[in-house]
Amino acid sequence: MTAMVVGLFLLSFVYTPHDPNEMQLTMRFIGPGENPRYILGTDYFGRDILSRIIYGSRSIVLVSFVAVTLGSVVGSLLGAVAGMVKKGPLSAIIMRAIDGLMAFPGILLAMMMVAAIGKGQEGAIVAISVFMIPPFARLVYSLILDSETHLFIKAASSYNISRCRLLFKHYLPLLLPRLITLFTACIGTAIMIETSLSFLGLGVQPPHASWGLMLNEARQHFLQYPYLAMTPGIAIALSVLGFNLLGDGLNDALSKRRSR
Amino acid sequence: MAEEKVLDIENLTIRTQRGRTLVDGISLHLYKGEVLGVVGESGSGKTLTAKTILNLLPENLSWEADRFAVLGADYLTLGKKDTKALVGQKIGYVPQNTGSYLHPMIRIKDQIIDGYLRYTKNNRGEALERARELVKAVGIRDTERLLKSYPWQLSGGMRQRVNIAMALMNQPRLIVADEPTTALDSTIQMQVLDLLKTVNDLYETPVILVSHDLGLVKYYCERIVVMYAGQIMEAATVEQVFSNPKHPYTRALIKVIPSLNIKKGERLAEIPGQLNAVGTAGGGCAFKERCSFRQEACEYTIREKTVADNHYYRCNLDF
Amino acid sequence: MLSYIYKRTSNAVQVLLFVSIITFAVLQWIPGDAAQLILGSEATPENLARLRTALGLDRPWYIQYWHWLKGLVQFDLGRSYVFGQDVVTLIQQRLPVTISIAVFSMLIASTIAIVLGILAAIRKNTMVDYLATGIMQLGSAVPAFWLGMLMIVYFGLELKWFPVSGYVPPDRGLGGYLNSIAMPSIVLAIGEVGMLLRTVRTSMLEALGQDFMDMAKAKGLSSFTIYFKYALRSAMIAPINVMGLQFAKLVGGTVVVESVFGLPGVGRLILVAVEQRDVFLLQGLVMFVTALVILISLLVDIAVMFINPRIRIEMQGE
Repeated sequence: MTAMVVGLFLLSFVYTPHDPNEMQLTMRFIGPGENPRYILGTDYFGRDILSRIIYGSRSIVLVSFVAVTLGSVVGSLLGAVAGMVKKGPLSAIIMRAIDGLMAFPGILLAMMMVAAIGKGQEGAIVAISVFMIPPFARLVYSLILDSETHLFIKAASSYNISRCRLLFKHYLPLLLPRLITLFTACIGTAIMIETSLSFLGLGVQPPHASWGLMLNEARQHFLQYPYLAMTPGIAIALSVLGFNLLGDGLNDALSKRRSR
Repeated sequence: MAEEKVLDIENLTIRTQRGRTLVDGISLHLYKGEVLGVVGESGSGKTLTAKTILNLLPENLSWEADRFAVLGADYLTLGKKDTKALVGQKIGYVPQNTGSYLHPMIRIKDQIIDGYLRYTKNNRGEALERARELVKAVGIRDTERLLKSYPWQLSGGMRQRVNIAMALMNQPRLIVADEPTTALDSTIQMQVLDLLKTVNDLYETPVILVSHDLGLVKYYCERIVVMYAGQIMEAATVEQVFSNPKHPYTRALIKVIPSLNIKKGERLAEIPGQLNAVGTAGGGCAFKERCSFRQEACEYTIREKTVADNHYYRCNLDF
Repeated sequence: MLSYIYKRTSNAVQVLLFVSIITFAVLQWIPGDAAQLILGSEATPENLARLRTALGLDRPWYIQYWHWLKGLVQFDLGRSYVFGQDVVTLIQQRLPVTISIAVFSMLIASTIAIVLGILAAIRKNTMVDYLATGIMQLGSAVPAFWLGMLMIVYFGLELKWFPVSGYVPPDRGLGGYLNSIAMPSIVLAIGEVGMLLRTVRTSMLEALGQDFMDMAKAKGLSSFTIYFKYALRSAMIAPINVMGLQFAKLVGGTVVVESVFGLPGVGRLILVAVEQRDVFLLQGLVMFVTALVILISLLVDIAVMFINPRIRIEMQGE
């Protein structure tokens, strides 16, 4: 399923059956399967749904990957700093701020960021990446504190090497598998937030295609034409499910390896 | 009546789902009023055997036997529910002394009476009255406070008394004590075992006493079964075992019992080697790797022999 | 125990303080200040200046922050310029809706999670377990707004079981009230049930492996007593904690759900505030909602301590 999403994403650069933004007012509301030229039908403006789905994967993949990458890098660095400095006000302030970020319920933080930055793709990316900072910071922080008891870390730190070197040479290999797992799991969440934001009209702006936005646009007409809501919803559910399962799988594999 | 079999187990085998054998065809008999010691190292299968009697075998293990009768009821034909009822009603279980056998969030009194309430028509008041009596009988003075406590407020010895009192609630006709004294101070070990022996004397309740400590068990049992690697190495009365041990493993066990007149600087005796996995004997003797009397024949065959007075052993040699 | 409550409370206050800083800082970013946004682009510079002074916007940011914080402590969340009303009043009007769906969805989610979680743990690797796993995965993957739309089409239009949108206050008929919040609550619950179910199942499995379960079985207790008195009692702590955490997500989820079902709740208010960039309203709302969530998780923590007799008794000893 993950492969499917990525595949769709790649496909969007080479091929869409129709121009996703091309409006053909004579071709409005063609149901799925009614016209072989429009397999999944057309929407209110006569745009081809299949093309928009393919095209919409671009914003999903772009926003979620960029945002999670940003969030993970910033978060891990913050966590690493807090973990390496340990005692002292800097560490305390960082971790309290992280707690503060985590205290915002659900997508509230993301919405607030959007309000500050503005609607659109950039707003969504920043909003989601801020949302992703705390889990990474916490993971790195706690892992560093945990692994201090490892002998090889103790040995390394007794050599009086620089903290930076200690971090990248000794901690990173320890952290990486866990970070990758968390990264995968977060992609699913990011997709969910991205689609929620665009559904609320705060993400990608029309006329561009995004799955959440397609659902938003479908709202005015789906009572008569329920099929409008089907495809994008299924697409979202499948891609989130895909990344969640991938994350779970990685997690299982990891814990099995550790227990051995 | 004296010969009535409380426990009649023939050829019990316990296996994992993957087919690994943990207990390998053992037979156990327990007669009325008797205390039977089951002795062996950890991994010898003694606890699994006890758990089978208690119907507590983990789901990923399965057992089979030619005969498995407990208190006259045949487990092989008895339904799930009836087995559970039989265990609850007629068998008292004294577990290993880890605090974990009592629920940490439920008061002692509620834990002690719930099994009783389930199998008698008496009400809560009567149940509590009986609990008070028993708790007093097992030697606890401040009964009321004890009953109101939670398990983690008690010392290890206290908890084990509670466990014994709890096991006695339904006037059991068999007590299974699985390593009841592990992790207790040696004086308290004695007290707990004395208590079990008193119960045995008073009510003629037969007891299966599972332990790794032959030196401790010998004071409390009539008969001893020595287990090793899922098999019974020797089974006889205490006198026979100590005066005339037939199996090298039993001899080794007796030798490692630390005695008080140990000389200064002398090392405690030990049995060399480790317990090997059950079923690796390949037809030969399970103990052969660690046996100092090992012969060529021990690789391929093993002889089971019963001599006078039901003295059973599993060895190619005669001592 | 008391010292723990104190520590936990002061921790919560600290977190709230950081929340207020983050909120304030983020919303300072909004291009153009509040005065500009209120008066629009055609405002005269004199008017702008006058309003800035009136709102205190000409003072340095830390004074502004201080004033805002002082207001917060006195439950003065500021004034919305889009609605021209106090934020507190606006929240008061809309809170019942949001609380209703939040509480009902929590009830639905926890009932499903507890029942199914226990069954899944007892009958591990059977159909029930697979069903539970399926619900866990689907629940967290299906977007609430889409599910809401599907339910509107099916239960609202096809079957006509529930009204498609709108809110009926309880004083205008309990039936209507329940009907109007049924679908939103269910939609919200399905999103929440996965995580809870997973927690119940895991901690139940852990409890089932405990030694005292052996003892309970050896006493021949009924299955009901074994599972509910013995296993569940020690398995409940983690799920209750998670429930506290989930409540936060749930409140966030109300934004989407209220939007789908056209409910006049706090979530809708937040959306309006974001769309209109009503800084004061948004600040006030964010602080209110976050404080509510932090308060609830604090209460949950304390409640969990009281459930655990060990801590309770140690407290009496103090």
